[in-house]
Amino acid sequence: MASLRQPTLRLLASSSFRRASPTIINTTRSLASIAADSPPPAKKEPLLKKFTIYRWSPDEPTKKPHMQEYTLDLNETGPMVLDALIRIKNELDPTLTFRRSCREGICGSCAMNVEGTNTLACLSRINRDASKATKIYPLPHMYIVKDLVPDLTNFYKQYKSIKPYLQTKEPPADGKEFLQSKEDRKKLDGLYECILCACCSTSCPSYWWNQEEYLGPAVLMQAYRWLADSRDQMGGQRKDALENSMSLYRCHTIMNCARTCPKGLNPGLAIAKIKKMMAFGS
Amino acid sequence: MASTLRSSSFRLLASRPTSATRLLPQTRVAAFHASQRQQILPPGPQVVHGTVNDPVPVPEPNAAHGSYHWAFERIIALGMVPLCVAPFAAGTANPALDAALGATLVLHSHIGFDACVTDYFPKRQYPKLRSFMVWLLRGATVTAAVGLFSFQTNDVGITEAVKKFWKA
Repeated sequence: MASLRQPTLRLLASSSFRRASPTIINTTRSLASIAADSPPPAKKEPLLKKFTIYRWSPDEPTKKPHMQEYTLDLNETGPMVLDALIRIKNELDPTLTFRRSCREGICGSCAMNVEGTNTLACLSRINRDASKATKIYPLPHMYIVKDLVPDLTNFYKQYKSIKPYLQTKEPPADGKEFLQSKEDRKKLDGLYECILCACCSTSCPSYWWNQEEYLGPAVLMQAYRWLADSRDQMGGQRKDALENSMSLYRCHTIMNCARTCPKGLNPGLAIAKIKKMMAFGS
Repeated sequence: MASTLRSSSFRLLASRPTSATRLLPQTRVAAFHASQRQQILPPGPQVVHGTVNDPVPVPEPNAAHGSYHWAFERIIALGMVPLCVAPFAAGTANPALDAALGATLVLHSHIGFDACVTDYFPKRQYPKLRSFMVWLLRGATVTAAVGLFSFQTNDVGITEAVKKFWKA
């Protein structure tokens, strides 16, 4: 819709701009008359692209998951994979199930595996090469609720276990609020932007093998976000919670997390900083 | 909002039978399993401990399995770099250096394989297999250590052996 709206807006803006100078008025009028006489613009050739989507329904639990193929005309579809999914759900198959909300990469709902990469469907462009089908799977190695909807219960329980909130022992010095210098605030850049879409955690082989015990890159980056916060006073307890073989040290620096993050963050670096913090006791 | 507006207009379009719209509602079911069905460690049923609002339990803190272990692992790994380079730099094989290299080599590979065992044989799923693998690894490490020790004392030693192997 936005893409359709833009050209008309641009036309309106340009015509009002031209009306300001009297010399161009004639040209715009003549252009308008030409437009009225000429035939309507030719419709684009349909660009038919196949989408192969993972399907599994809890209504038929014994039926094996399968890949279902849909064909869309890309010239009538929005540019992103989420546009295609919404169009398939609206026009071809209303039983297709997926999470989506903001359609602009800030809610993290539409995290899925598109063309073998964990990403947000709303931020990944459809490959215009119509000779190959686009394959869409749910996030890998997760329990599936239906179709493209993974069960993130364990992920959220893990997030809760790191106590993702400010913990202090003493009230603020001025009795009102905890202040922070600009330098200290800068340390949180690249950490607080995480939207917890679980793309990184579900791309991590170590998380695939041990997700019951290993916290995974997304949660560990948030653990570091609170360890690095100058206002937080429970750093010792936070580090103690990671002092075991499973929670933190199952990270083998595979770095799939940084490669796949749709927001361009680097959880691998944050985990390395936690390890450094814990080894040097700072 | 955008999607609903667009879809309704498209549905209007779709009522007119053009060549493009006739091609659109093609759905085809493809087989999911292309290869032979092999149940390698099938996933168990999903278990949620406590309610969905409880955090996962935090294990008892133990630095020997946490930060000390990690620091020791890194020191060993870093220590192996000069030990591997030193014989080439010196030009001759020093038995003390050789012994140090052998010891760190055994420790390094033990820690590495131990990480593999922890990763691939989870205690919560295969407790017996896990302890078997742990003891198998310990046995292998002791065997390798004894073998290297006898090679060091009765034969030429690691560096000299590599040198011979290189020239042969």
